[in-house]
Amino acid sequence: MDTAKRNDAWTMHRLGVISLFAGASSLLLSAGAQADDGKPVPGGTVIAALNSTTIPNLNTQMTSSVPALFAADVWADGLMTYDREANRVPRLAKSWTISEDGKTYTFNLREGVKWSDGKPFSAADVVFTLENFGKFNTYLTKLMPLVEKASAPDDKTFLLTLKQPLTATLDLFDKEVFPLMPKHIYEGKDIATHPANIAPVGLGPFKFDKWVSGQSITFVRNPHYWEAPKPYLDSVIFALIPNPQQRLNAIVNGEVNWFRPEVVQVPATQQAAKRGSFRVVPIVTNAPETAVIDFNLRRSPMNNVKVRQALFHAIDRQRIVRDVYQGLAETAKNAIPTQFKNLHDTSVNYDTMYAYDPKRAAQLLDEAGFPLKDGKRFALELAVISAAPYDAVAQVVQAQWTALGIDVKLSALDQQIWTNKVYTQHDFDASIISLTGRSNPVLGVDRSFVCNETSVPYANPTSYCNPEFDKVAANAASAPADQQKAHYKTYAEIIARDLNQLALTNSRVFEAVTNNFKNLDAQFNFSFNTHPNWAEAWLPKDKQ
Amino acid sequence: MLRFVGRRALYAIPLLLAIIILMFSMLHMIPGDPVQALVGDYPVPPAYRQVIEEKYRLNDPFLVQVGNYLLNVAQGDFGFSYQNQRGVLDLILERAPRTILLASVSFALAIPLGMAIGIAAGTTRRPGVDKFWTTTALIAYAIPTFWLGQLLVMLFALRLGWFPTQGIGPLISRTHGIAWLFEKLRYLALPVLAFGIHEGMRIARIMRASVIDTLSQGYIITARSKGLSRGQIIRSHVLRNSSLPLVTIAGYAFGSALGGAVLLETVFTWPGLGLLLVDSIRLRDNMTVVGVVIFSAVAVVAMNLIVDLLYAALDPRIRTMR
Repeated sequence: MDTAKRNDAWTMHRLGVISLFAGASSLLLSAGAQADDGKPVPGGTVIAALNSTTIPNLNTQMTSSVPALFAADVWADGLMTYDREANRVPRLAKSWTISEDGKTYTFNLREGVKWSDGKPFSAADVVFTLENFGKFNTYLTKLMPLVEKASAPDDKTFLLTLKQPLTATLDLFDKEVFPLMPKHIYEGKDIATHPANIAPVGLGPFKFDKWVSGQSITFVRNPHYWEAPKPYLDSVIFALIPNPQQRLNAIVNGEVNWFRPEVVQVPATQQAAKRGSFRVVPIVTNAPETAVIDFNLRRSPMNNVKVRQALFHAIDRQRIVRDVYQGLAETAKNAIPTQFKNLHDTSVNYDTMYAYDPKRAAQLLDEAGFPLKDGKRFALELAVISAAPYDAVAQVVQAQWTALGIDVKLSALDQQIWTNKVYTQHDFDASIISLTGRSNPVLGVDRSFVCNETSVPYANPTSYCNPEFDKVAANAASAPADQQKAHYKTYAEIIARDLNQLALTNSRVFEAVTNNFKNLDAQFNFSFNTHPNWAEAWLPKDKQ
Repeated sequence: MLRFVGRRALYAIPLLLAIIILMFSMLHMIPGDPVQALVGDYPVPPAYRQVIEEKYRLNDPFLVQVGNYLLNVAQGDFGFSYQNQRGVLDLILERAPRTILLASVSFALAIPLGMAIGIAAGTTRRPGVDKFWTTTALIAYAIPTFWLGQLLVMLFALRLGWFPTQGIGPLISRTHGIAWLFEKLRYLALPVLAFGIHEGMRIARIMRASVIDTLSQGYIITARSKGLSRGQIIRSHVLRNSSLPLVTIAGYAFGSALGGAVLLETVFTWPGLGLLLVDSIRLRDNMTVVGVVIFSAVAVVAMNLIVDLLYAALDPRIRTMR
């Protein structure tokens, strides 16, 4: 890096710090497209930064932790995935058919595929994975009770029969949700604590090599990868860097080649990228990332729907988009995120139903029996994890509710303490979190609204338990694809009426990557699986 | 001598017992769910929770957990880290050398630096020089290491590009021998500078006060009246006599540093014991938390013992008292 670049990098770093704390103006996105200027050549290594020094489990059948998901794209594979526009594309299943009654799924598998240890892959592995890992997989909790039978009539056919239809089933076989596991490694062993969970054998382009505690995890080219001659790179090294500013520093200084900036640091990353040796790539279609407020309906006055409506009217969500997300988000429209194009109904729109209107909010609170008395209406506790962007969202909400005469006590907490307080103790009035929706409402949206009688964390903490709604959600999930939208419209209408949860914003996702890698854009065709698996990328000889 | 060391080691046993019981009690009281930390921000499937809780005996009564732990520790088993999927002792043995390296090199810088400033400030006849060093040391000591660390990164890594911004070594290296060592040292430079300056200034302040105190002693006046030069007096009388408080302070600080410089390791992503402790608290990896705290306590006890032995070596009066 020459001195001029360093000066810029330093300035950009300062700018980054300033923008993180003060909320700098939004900036134009640096475009991601770059022409492929030759034939791929083998060789080279990529260093990608992951956001933790401790990763308990690499097996994403058993964890939804973000660093494990990033790593899984390198070593694991599945039956299908999505393209840039969120269309399903085959992976290890060449094709699939669904019976007319929606109960039988037949997957035709690729032939001649081998695991990274050289052993052959067959339909028996898929059956084994479902039967043995399904009960440990958080995304499959809705599917598993519906499974009548999973079988492998021959090596190349995986047959799944359900007791009743579940239209989301295909999305549950996405390679991120359902990475395939080798039967010959796990059979007869203690699966949940098997050593292969941290030294995995998979079907991905790279295979596990070594793990240096707290520092790095290395994957090398899988010689048995089914998409030969891919991958082109020799290895992928994950650098374990927990602090977001340090990840940005590391790419500015050329120590890593890839990281995913936190949404609040995207403008600073874009600034630094302008004269640096990397670029910021916007992900075309990312999984919904929705900032929400949950109300504790066990408590007064949160159990009063007029109060909840008033509190929604009192929030200027455009200000959250502008000040917290620096323009890199949109206001959430209803309970079904806009990413689900075939399911989201635009007629239910929070922008018009609950437009920012402090006067209307005050009027609703007066009607609900909470008029201003000595400048105050009532007090509430707003619980939040003390990390970006939640804390910043909470501060905006606190200011706007305070302006309405509500005495808002903000409790910014360690994540574990927050989880216990909100989901287990129910000791809160309102709570802020950002929820990932994944590729189907069944996977990440339903959990906010469906009755959660056993107080399971990261599912509906509000005590909202509406049999009418639960029935609509179940029908929506099992209706034929062409009829689902109508059900999800009713779904969104009920939530818009009852408001156990306020959906604030839906944020975008970006990745930063050094310019020397070729054919990288092909990596971002994964839509919901936005992180690269590096199978397509290559490095010119002079950059290796 | 051996009896003295043995007695001190015995004193450490009740201390460690108290620490283990205290740590277990505190960790028991803090809300947290290690199984949730394993799964992430999605609901934990009941079957998975059951398997993990049974495997790691997370639902055992508090007293059973403490009792089992004490029995295991007595046999050299410090438990299993479920967030790292390996034995706690094994994990500590991998992380500790990194922390020991950082602390040792930092103190190797801090001690001569602090002593030099302390002696310069304490022995000068010009009040301006004393004021300059006293103020510099105070300001430098008051700057938190994590902030100083960030400033050093901005200047020497991002602006000048001389050093890496974080980490303990290159992830891809094609160097060998001296070049390899030089490459490793580049990663050590900034954390050592931040830590060394901070600890050096602490030492400088102690050293200055101690030097001034020593200079007022009768034997210094005697030495002066015998016509010894200033340099001779400092070398032969001041240095050794002023070092006693320094040994105590530096020994204690070094012992604490061996338990992990939490903020510094976080700022430089230096994966030693400090970073391990932070991660383990966040993920409620209680066995690891207790293990690191025990290691830290042992390090402090051991350093205090070494300080006592050094004291005896430096001061014959203490030797005769025993």
